[in-house]
Amino acid sequence: MPVVYNELRRLAAHYMRGERPGQTIQATALVHEVYLRLAGANAPWHDERHFVGIAARAMRQILVDRARARGAAKRWAGLNRVSLVDSLAVAADETIMLPALDEALTRLEAIDPEQARIVELRFFGGLSIDEAAAALGISSGTLKRRWALARAWLHRELAPSL
Amino acid sequence: MTPAERQRVQALFEAALDRDDGDPAAWVRAQLDEDPAVRDEVLSLLAHHQHAGEFLSTSILERATDLFEPETGLAPGTMRGSYRVIREIGRGGMGCVYLAEDTRLGRHVALKAVAPDLVRDASHRERLRREARAAGALSHPGICTVYALEDLDGETYLASEFVDGATLRDEIAAGVRPAPEQVLATARDIASALAAAHDRGIVHRDLKPENVMRTHDGRIKILDFGLARLDADGTGDESAFVTRAGVIVGTPAYMAPEQLTGKAVDARADVFAFGVLLYEYACGIHPFAAGSPIATMARVLDSQVTPLVDRCPDLPAQVVDVVARCLRKLPEERFGSAREVVGALSRPPADPSRSPSVWWLTHQLAIMLLYVLSAVRGWQVRFWFGTPLTVGIFMFLGVGAAVAGIIRGHLAFTQQFNRRGLGAEWRRLRLPLRLIDLGMATALVADALIQAPWPVSAVWTLALAAALGMAATVLDPATSRAVVDRD
Repeated sequence: MPVVYNELRRLAAHYMRGERPGQTIQATALVHEVYLRLAGANAPWHDERHFVGIAARAMRQILVDRARARGAAKRWAGLNRVSLVDSLAVAADETIMLPALDEALTRLEAIDPEQARIVELRFFGGLSIDEAAAALGISSGTLKRRWALARAWLHRELAPSL
Repeated sequence: MTPAERQRVQALFEAALDRDDGDPAAWVRAQLDEDPAVRDEVLSLLAHHQHAGEFLSTSILERATDLFEPETGLAPGTMRGSYRVIREIGRGGMGCVYLAEDTRLGRHVALKAVAPDLVRDASHRERLRREARAAGALSHPGICTVYALEDLDGETYLASEFVDGATLRDEIAAGVRPAPEQVLATARDIASALAAAHDRGIVHRDLKPENVMRTHDGRIKILDFGLARLDADGTGDESAFVTRAGVIVGTPAYMAPEQLTGKAVDARADVFAFGVLLYEYACGIHPFAAGSPIATMARVLDSQVTPLVDRCPDLPAQVVDVVARCLRKLPEERFGSAREVVGALSRPPADPSRSPSVWWLTHQLAIMLLYVLSAVRGWQVRFWFGTPLTVGIFMFLGVGAAVAGIIRGHLAFTQQFNRRGLGAEWRRLRLPLRLIDLGMATALVADALIQAPWPVSAVWTLALAAALGMAATVLDPATSRAVVDRD
């Protein structure tokens, strides 16, 4: 129990540290869900790094589930392949790609778990480069390079033909 | 590709990106001593890197807001089975709610669309059906009646009594504080409706101001027993509720600590939610208000509530006491069910002169008097005998009386002017106090032994020692705890 208190407080402090740009009621709704998931899963976490990691993983699952429930997979399959690279480049309709991204990320995880974690923390967890680097215990420079590689790799999975 | 090759790909890719000469691809092609397969892979990845643009560069948290927007609802006039939609009246955790006409029976109903992920598989569907049946079995004027769970055009809807009125949330938001009698009456109405459900083993699990309505003729109705389930069911798979994707079951700001931490939940969680609701309704301030929902949850788990009486001193004492007991962190310290709340609300308020704090204060004064008598006794014995031992005992008694007297005075002051601090102060000081009391009692016993040849005098001293010892071990702990626990 005390661990739950402390982590909650820390997370609360993190989210109260001034409104982040774009952070909306919806993002807070997500935080609720993450919390409820963590509480329900009864997953004990050892420290803040670990906590941030499993919270980001939970956010990934929730967002992907939601996107699936809204028929994202079907809309993704129906996307115009010709303009796909362009839509990815302007990050249009990102929610549609979530199920496909999730599957690609699972494949990446099999090859390089660390890169997959970086994507979870940055993209699903909303962590900055420095925060993600701290959560993984690597330098910001290293994280930046790995992140670039993971991004290129996932991009190729989603849009194989440039 | 082997792990070793992949490592080379990674190294080459990163090295290429680190070069500022404008054409990393040309540089990679020039690395002729590399394996061609590795070079091709890096070139392919570099190409994708260059075309990636904004891909993944902004967190989805700042983009996926539409995932949390409700789906668009049904237009007025739409038919669903034999129901004609009249208008949308709200959106709940489960989905949209419509006012609809049941054309078979010619009555108005509230038709609630059940979010698809709640009924995705047969077990969810079955659970919901069971809940609907349980709620449908409840017949109480204070509970919105559930009519049916319907599968209409591939979607699931819950049809229930249409309640026309305003929710308690609306009343709270209006910012007009209700009169004290009104608070008591509302509390009684909600508690007795909730008690009717608890009597049948049904727990609401999501009681909040949004779910309590007052009809235009002033009657209270609790809505949304649809999410409640028979707690006698005892399948224990609480986590199925908590972890299901996409739906928040229960509202964190009204959830009991055990509910927030995913433990088993019973009627006492409703009792907690009732306490939060009543607190908020009575004084317009949420007892765990904080800057963010997560911070609110942390407060629910961890921090003590400002007593209602400090915020609204004019409230009836029963309301204040009931709310305080409902908001206890440990379920076993709350009322066992809403039935007990009803009982507590209809009891006449406690007589303040019978409050334990009067007794406590009396005891503190009596013990201070004992200190004075002990010091005086020590002085007398020293006067009669004058031996170094009696001088030492007198000094010990004098110092002990002064120190312990000051501590007790401090506690009495705290109790009078800083009631909420009393518990912490008492817990901090009770051990030194007890040691001093017992030490003084022991010193008095020593004095009594010295006076043994003069039995009457010795008995007096012994009696003082016994009184101090009893005060330290029996009387003071009992009354102090009564006062501390009450606050």
